[in-house]
Amino acid sequence: MSTLDFVVLIGSMLGIAGYGIWRTRGRRDLNAYLKGGHTPWFAIGLSVMATQASAITFLSTPGQGFAGGLGFVQIYFGVPIALLIIAIYFLPIFRGLNVFTAYEYLGKRFDTKTRLLGTGLFLVQRGLGAGITIYAPAIVLTTVFGWPLNLTIISSGLLVIIYTVAGGNDAVTVTQKYQLGIIFAGMITAACLLLLKLPPGLTLKDTLTLAGGFHKLNAVNFSTDVHERYTIWSGIFGGTFLMLSYFGTDQSQVQRYLSGESLRESRLGLMFNAVCKIPMQFCILMLGVLIFVFYQFEPAPLFFNPASSQLLANRSNSQKLQVYEAGFNLSQVEMQQQLGNWLNARHAGNRVLADHAFRAAALANRQGEEIRQTATEELKAKNPGTTVNDADYVFITFILQQLPHGVIGLLVAAFFAATFSSKAAELNALSSSTTIDFYRHLVRRDATDAACVLASKWFTALWGFVAIGVALCAHLAENLIQAVNILGSIFYGVMLGLFVVAFFIRWVGGTAVFWAAVAAQTLIFVLYAKLTISYVWYPLIGCAACVILSCLLQMILADTNAPDKVRSL
Amino acid sequence: MKHPNQAETSAGDTHGTGLPFFRTWKSVYLFVLASFVLWVALLILLTKMFS
Repeated sequence: MSTLDFVVLIGSMLGIAGYGIWRTRGRRDLNAYLKGGHTPWFAIGLSVMATQASAITFLSTPGQGFAGGLGFVQIYFGVPIALLIIAIYFLPIFRGLNVFTAYEYLGKRFDTKTRLLGTGLFLVQRGLGAGITIYAPAIVLTTVFGWPLNLTIISSGLLVIIYTVAGGNDAVTVTQKYQLGIIFAGMITAACLLLLKLPPGLTLKDTLTLAGGFHKLNAVNFSTDVHERYTIWSGIFGGTFLMLSYFGTDQSQVQRYLSGESLRESRLGLMFNAVCKIPMQFCILMLGVLIFVFYQFEPAPLFFNPASSQLLANRSNSQKLQVYEAGFNLSQVEMQQQLGNWLNARHAGNRVLADHAFRAAALANRQGEEIRQTATEELKAKNPGTTVNDADYVFITFILQQLPHGVIGLLVAAFFAATFSSKAAELNALSSSTTIDFYRHLVRRDATDAACVLASKWFTALWGFVAIGVALCAHLAENLIQAVNILGSIFYGVMLGLFVVAFFIRWVGGTAVFWAAVAAQTLIFVLYAKLTISYVWYPLIGCAACVILSCLLQMILADTNAPDKVRSL
Repeated sequence: MKHPNQAETSAGDTHGTGLPFFRTWKSVYLFVLASFVLWVALLILLTKMFS
């Protein structure tokens, strides 16, 4: 990175954080600090979007598009359905009861132990998730730039802690707007420059045909195999439960839309996301597909992750690496030549020659992928426990090798902006939940608003340091964005089950739902350890288990208090 | 007497959305559903055309 890149990066990050602190100075009452002021629907919509879209979304998703094509978009099919359910059923109840946290509602509907269980599940999974949020972009950026990992994690973590502690919920919302602006500016610039870098003469139809020929445009998969991770069924059914759990029961999202001035503002903010989420994810994945097309005409590295090449050279010998690289480069040259022939034949209208050239190009591509696979396996064999997350490094490698200075700074700023926006929302939610559901509920019931604001600031800092600690110890498996989704999937189903019982099954009481949730969570842990079904199904299974067991236990326990409690709500 | 959440639900549902083309919440929800169906249909079309 050049001086210009650093000026863009540091200037934009410090500028936004400073503006957030200045705009929210003097927020001292609890309502303003935790719920924020009168946020309009558009700001809520952006805030909900920025909270979900962390740096992993923008770093790792193009890599998913590059490696696996558009299939990952199916997981977002559940978003519009989930947001409609939340806007119609969940939101009016949360707003009507004027709660600070979603788990406060569980306490009102059931009892303290169920409220604490919901809060506990949230704090565990979100506390760990906040660590991944900060670790994931840091590991990628430091590997590529050679920055010290720990220093990057600590410095970026501290900046978020400072402005979130200072301004609370409003500081999160205010900064998210500008952070999202930087993110979109960076991604659109990268997409435009990428399109300009595609070979001259390659039309849109050629590009799509080429990508489709390499199976990168298989956006919808109708397979009913539950072991397949991304299908239309897992997206619509599993994805709906995953998203319903995330948007409906995760305080980091609930807090975003509860900051709306009225029910209308909150609802429209959610509907904005319901309309925009699928196209947004499609565009990010498509960026990855276009990078794939770009590297069919330009030399691609054997490993996009520079650490992998280094590791292979160290543990094997540099000669072995050179053999792999030579074989890979040879297949690349062959592929590029054949794709040139394909393009010429296609434009000349010679379909037979075009098909022949494309098949030859696909064969060369397959040979290259086999060499990459062999090298990866050797790397793993020589370094047991090493994970090769090459897809996460595709976009950043493209940025560094192909984009001009200034734009590099803008994109790295975009990754940090995405980290800050989701991390700040997470810290704010963790702090709210700890303050309202533990501190004010269990420790100091007579605490004044001022004491709660002070406690909330301390809890924000504490959770910030926990997240930094998790990030410093994190060693991730698989693709980073999947790691976040898998972690969420393990806990979300049971959390959703608690809320589904609370909203819709009025005759079930606190004791039954509490023990049902404990049993359902145990079941999910067992499933995760023993089965290989796609993680997308866990929220559905967890929710269903919690609901069914709640009903069965309630029938056995015959909790006579439940109907009265329900009537009082 | 209405419960607070019922009060806000009905107020939210009966008051207009304040949007120029979607005056009722039902029309907003239908628009969201229609855009979802449209996106899925377009993605299926893309898959069928180029695979």
